[in-house]
Amino acid sequence: MSTFREASHITTGKFVDPTPAPAEAAHPEVGATSAPLKSAAFFIGSYCKDYNEDFMLCKDENNDPAHCLKEGRKVTRCAMDLITKLRENCEKEWEAHYKCLEKHNQEYYACRKPERTFNECVFSKLKLEKVIPGASNTPIHLRENTIYN
Amino acid sequence: MPVPFEALIPLGLITGFFGVSGFFFQKLKTSINEGQPPRFGLDRWDRVMLDRDYRLTGTQRGQAHETAAPSAFSTNSAWNLEKEHL
Repeated sequence: MSTFREASHITTGKFVDPTPAPAEAAHPEVGATSAPLKSAAFFIGSYCKDYNEDFMLCKDENNDPAHCLKEGRKVTRCAMDLITKLRENCEKEWEAHYKCLEKHNQEYYACRKPERTFNECVFSKLKLEKVIPGASNTPIHLRENTIYN
Repeated sequence: MPVPFEALIPLGLITGFFGVSGFFFQKLKTSINEGQPPRFGLDRWDRVMLDRDYRLTGTQRGQAHETAAPSAFSTNSAWNLEKEHL
């Protein structure tokens, strides 16, 4: 299990990167920040299931970052594809849901109403459904009367 | 016996001080977090994601739902500036 710390012992003053520039241009990265990703998390999970599982199994073999670059690029591309589709079809509902999440410490329980409209839009346009694996009775996002609603 | 209104003056003062300081504290927290309540209960994942949000948008609590990251994203990580530890 690798540990992480923020970069704290930073050089001050003028800095020139001594490593040579990479041969190829940097690969495109996902441009969505944390709240939109959390809002679309279950849809990314079902849309990109194969690529995600491929990547996790590859990481399971060897945790070296250099080992799974190809699978990682596929995961990135799939997520970018879904984000493009969401922007085309359900952008307003997505924005409403993630703005609500940002107001409530990114907790799902506080934003069920915008989540419902967003899920309905995604289901009607993109045929993706939010499924909570291992939910015993009615899943929490489908219950009518909750405490916080 | 008439109501001792003099006793209510310090009560009103204390309530007023609490209220004014609470009001300004709320305004300060909201202005730091760009109009939103502050985040709390953050673990490592949330801190890393907050740092990534800052790299993507340039503001502490800004959010964006672009497909591709801006080109500066590939080089604006603070780790490149980390001093060598020998």
